[in-house]
Amino acid sequence: MSALKTSTSVSGSDPPIGGHQETGLSPKAIVAVIDSLKKQVASDRSLFIKKRMEENTEKVLDVTKNLYKLSMKEEIICGDGGVDLLAKRQKDAIDMHSGIGTSNGDNESSSSQEDGYAPSAILLGSSIAVKNAVRPIKLPEVKKLPPYTTWIFLDRNQRMTEDQSVVGRRRIYYDQNGGEALICSDSEEETVDDEEEKKDFVDFEDYILRTTIKEVGVSDMTLDLLAQCLSRKSCEIKGRYEDLIKNDNALCRVNNGNAEGFVNPYIDKDLDAALDSFDNLFCRRCLVFDCRLHGCSQDLVFSAEKQLPWSCADVEKEPCGPNCHRLVLESEGNAIVSSKQTNFVEKTATASNTPGMQIQKRKQGGKSVRIKSMSCQSESASSSEIKPNNDVTSSVKSASAGRSGGDKRSSKRIAENVLVAKKKRQKKMATSDSDSVAGSGLSLKDLNLRTNSRRENEDISSSQKIKSTSSRKSRRKESLVLDFDKSLQGEADSGASNESESNQPMASSGDTFKKEEFVDENMYKQEIIDNKYWKPFEKALYEKGIQIFGRNSCLIARNLMSGLKSCSEIFIYMHRSEKKILSHDGDGTILADGCLKADGNETADTNHSGNGYLKGRTSLVGSTVHVVASLPVEKPVHVLLMMSKELQESIQRVPLCQESVSKPPMPCFAADRECDPDVCRNCWISCGDGTLGVPSQRGDNYECRNMKLLLKQQQRVLLGRSDVSGWGAFLKNSVGKHEYLGEYTGELISHREADKRGKIYDRENSSFLFNLNDQFVLDAYRKGDKLKFANHSPDPNCYAKVIMVAGDHRVGIFAKERISAGEELFYDYRYEPDRAPAWAKKPEAPGAKREDGAPSNGRAKKHT
Amino acid sequence: MAKIPLGCEPVVGSLTPSKKREYRVTNRLQEGKRPIYAVVFNFIDSRYFNAFATAGGNRVDQKDESFYTVSWACNIDGTPFLVAGGLNGIIRVIDTGSEKIYKSFVGHGDSINEIRTQPLKPSLVVSASKDESVRLWNIHTGICILIFAGAGGHRNEVLSVDFHPSDIYRIASCGMDNTVKIWSMKEFWTYVEKSFTWTDLPSKFPTKYVQFPVFIASVHTNYVDCNRWIGDFILSKSVDNELVLWEPKMKEQSPGEGTVDILQKYPVPECDIWFIKFSCDFHYKAAAVGNREGKIYVWEVQSSPPVLIARLSHVQSKSPIRLTAMSFDGSTILCCCEDGTIWRWDVVASS
Repeated sequence: MSALKTSTSVSGSDPPIGGHQETGLSPKAIVAVIDSLKKQVASDRSLFIKKRMEENTEKVLDVTKNLYKLSMKEEIICGDGGVDLLAKRQKDAIDMHSGIGTSNGDNESSSSQEDGYAPSAILLGSSIAVKNAVRPIKLPEVKKLPPYTTWIFLDRNQRMTEDQSVVGRRRIYYDQNGGEALICSDSEEETVDDEEEKKDFVDFEDYILRTTIKEVGVSDMTLDLLAQCLSRKSCEIKGRYEDLIKNDNALCRVNNGNAEGFVNPYIDKDLDAALDSFDNLFCRRCLVFDCRLHGCSQDLVFSAEKQLPWSCADVEKEPCGPNCHRLVLESEGNAIVSSKQTNFVEKTATASNTPGMQIQKRKQGGKSVRIKSMSCQSESASSSEIKPNNDVTSSVKSASAGRSGGDKRSSKRIAENVLVAKKKRQKKMATSDSDSVAGSGLSLKDLNLRTNSRRENEDISSSQKIKSTSSRKSRRKESLVLDFDKSLQGEADSGASNESESNQPMASSGDTFKKEEFVDENMYKQEIIDNKYWKPFEKALYEKGIQIFGRNSCLIARNLMSGLKSCSEIFIYMHRSEKKILSHDGDGTILADGCLKADGNETADTNHSGNGYLKGRTSLVGSTVHVVASLPVEKPVHVLLMMSKELQESIQRVPLCQESVSKPPMPCFAADRECDPDVCRNCWISCGDGTLGVPSQRGDNYECRNMKLLLKQQQRVLLGRSDVSGWGAFLKNSVGKHEYLGEYTGELISHREADKRGKIYDRENSSFLFNLNDQFVLDAYRKGDKLKFANHSPDPNCYAKVIMVAGDHRVGIFAKERISAGEELFYDYRYEPDRAPAWAKKPEAPGAKREDGAPSNGRAKKHT
Repeated sequence: MAKIPLGCEPVVGSLTPSKKREYRVTNRLQEGKRPIYAVVFNFIDSRYFNAFATAGGNRVDQKDESFYTVSWACNIDGTPFLVAGGLNGIIRVIDTGSEKIYKSFVGHGDSINEIRTQPLKPSLVVSASKDESVRLWNIHTGICILIFAGAGGHRNEVLSVDFHPSDIYRIASCGMDNTVKIWSMKEFWTYVEKSFTWTDLPSKFPTKYVQFPVFIASVHTNYVDCNRWIGDFILSKSVDNELVLWEPKMKEQSPGEGTVDILQKYPVPECDIWFIKFSCDFHYKAAAVGNREGKIYVWEVQSSPPVLIARLSHVQSKSPIRLTAMSFDGSTILCCCEDGTIWRWDVVASS
């Protein structure tokens, strides 16, 4: 293989082999060619080995030099003057040697090498001298451990991995007494189906194939002869030849084409392909990858009811990172606000865009969140009071102008902003218009909440004010999505202030819709651009993110799209895609719209008289309403209901979002369903042991028996020398009758495998096999827990029981009677009578140990 | 075994002796009637290069003990130690100066088949056991640092183990499951260091399991009873009348996988029983292995093709030779036999 490097011409440099069709050579000549090639290959190989050996020799030389230095260290340190630790014994030994030497007489003649036998030579080395010369060293008594095979602790059962199988594998035993006799294992019964494994072509064969064809051309005869010489079938050779040609062509193409730079291999696939491994490798029962109990490629189960998006309270306020949409929006919003303030404070003729102004605005915009929120508050609080001073349009204008330097996107929208701002006023009218339409009532608050939730979930714009409000209402779990677009933001902003400023009824719903169309259009343009950068994979990932986290771009970005898209990008995309859906769905929802509008406005009115807190909310609602009004909403009722439900929940769950919604009770005795600790408290039913529906005979046992297994509420088991023989398991604390002690864990193996292993274990007369069910046998030989060391007894103090836990059969060990602390544990292995080993057959000998007695074929059986 | 494909054949040494060196028997000891399983020269401390140790069941007054293996080691202060183990699974560390047991290590669940010393840190030893594990011990503190066993471990007795001569993290082990496994303790090296400074009870040391070897080689189809690193190659033997030198080619990305390139074979006739081990001189120039009939084959390990330096035989040597020991420069070869004899062969100056 790597030997190729030394061979003269290697496949890579060979010309393509397709060209030669002509062959006028006799078979003999062809064979000669092949033979010479083979010889060449052989000599190349030996050259290669020689080279490798020489390289290695050099390495070894360095190593041994170093080791020699190390070994000299002691001598250098101690010098020759140090105590010669071995001197005494050495002297004894020499004395002894010389003694033998003299008795030997001539020992030169006694040695022989090769065939130079010296038959007369006899060595007379005797044991007499030895005994006198050597002082034995007393070995301090150390108690020997009972024998065991090194084992690995398992806290749960594991499926056997394929490479652990003994089936079809030859196992060699040696005669325990003689020590040398080799007995080949029981592979007689099943012919080890050595299915003629397809041997891959090695480089050398390819080389011969190529070169031969190159020299003598292609013909059936050539291929046949090649097959003969390479001891392969001619069809193999033909196939390989075709492969080689194909490869050559491919190689050419690759060489011509340009290799692409490294790309994330997943990025071009769609998510389903990428999720494939997730679906295959993730165990939904154990919530781990590569589950060693249930294996890969489990059936996928999709729950019927949709899960609520994951949510977390504290993510709300904190920006998730430098690219968080919050930061982006805030800085933008800030610019607006600050510009307003500037306007207000300085009473500048705001329309002018003097450079100085811009700078100032920017400064303020760049300030920290704290300032921002303060200004927000003051704004929201004050906007209602102060407004008159500036023209809204101009303020928006200047704000956007101020931003335009840094923000690419904003430039596009300045014009739009201006337009929007103008229209805003008209929209305002619409609002106040509906105001009059709306009825007032006690349900107002409710409606208000609904509106809120609606706004949140639908993600319809918000302004700086909303933000400040929301921070007060921090209990909300739903991500407070702030605004979708700067233009809208500015709009809402000014809208809000406008609103509180004047409620002149001027209404024109037509205007509203016009505006909305305009905005939508704008969106589309942006979207097209964006779409280019969103690969299908990313889109799919985003969809998943929505499913999992809801509309929280921070969480989606952090957990799913890190390195792909930033939070703000996701946020924008989220908003656009939503827009698209909404507008696609068209209109016809005016009624609902109107309602909402009305509600919102009513609330706003009500709140006017409220305190600061309410005021903040007021303005929030007010601005919301505007935007809502501007959107044609589809399926309003449905959505509304859904959202409100969600909201209700969120209110219920104010302190903690994790609190589980109470599930409907699921009776564990329903078909094939075992106990679930969340559901079956105080369950009277003895679960999973075949006595479904029958109340437990033990009145004092209220619990389902599988629960302690599931929750691993087990007793401390100690491993020690058995009082009976070998190892034993002992109990640390005393327990009552029927109490759960622990689980008997091990490898899950098939019955076929168990039969094979049983035979091996029988030779060692120690078996840790335990029949679990029709499919599996538990083997605790190399993997298990301490309970595997509990000995057999016909009169045991424990019993084993197979119990269904979370869909799996598991073996629990229970106390048969009261067991006091420190007692050794025994249980009846329940051998089938015909398979029981000798020591398990005699009930008269209690506590006989599995290590003793004659081999058996048996293994512990589940009692049924 | 599958047919070796063209171009990957090993170079097989010729059994015709080169007569490069001649050896003669210079001594023979009868140690008792029970087999002697191990004989080993001290390569750890240059002051004692001429000292050797043997191990067997003779003169052990404990009924249930019979030593299978012995290795030279030393304490961190340089005191030479002998580390021996055998039938009952207890490792005995003997201070050769004071002739006292320095420590006894209990832990293995069954017999110990081989003990080897880390030449770069001679207070570390590894032991191979019938309990299917290989364990790394610090003989200075008496700590069992690592256990090489578990999910990827041996599936039957471990018969032999060896430290890589230069890569301090690496060991190779082989046994009755017919495989050779290469293990790395690189990720666990902090525990090795910790073991030197451990002051608490050795039993409280957080012994770690190394469950997965970095390489599993199926070079043989029967018990593999001896393996030794020769540089980066491994020389190993089974019961197939030959030593095999091969190169493990690991795939860096996927541990446990890789291929084996069998480079050379050194035939050893009548060497078809297990627990016959070979030895090399200090520089790994030659390897000596005995056979079932009491003959010794001395191969030049590193030449290509391999050269048989000498075949040693003596009319009175009929008993299987369990292990040989080559002295520092290979001029003396010792061997211990099933019948309890120890033989000494010395090179004859060829003038």
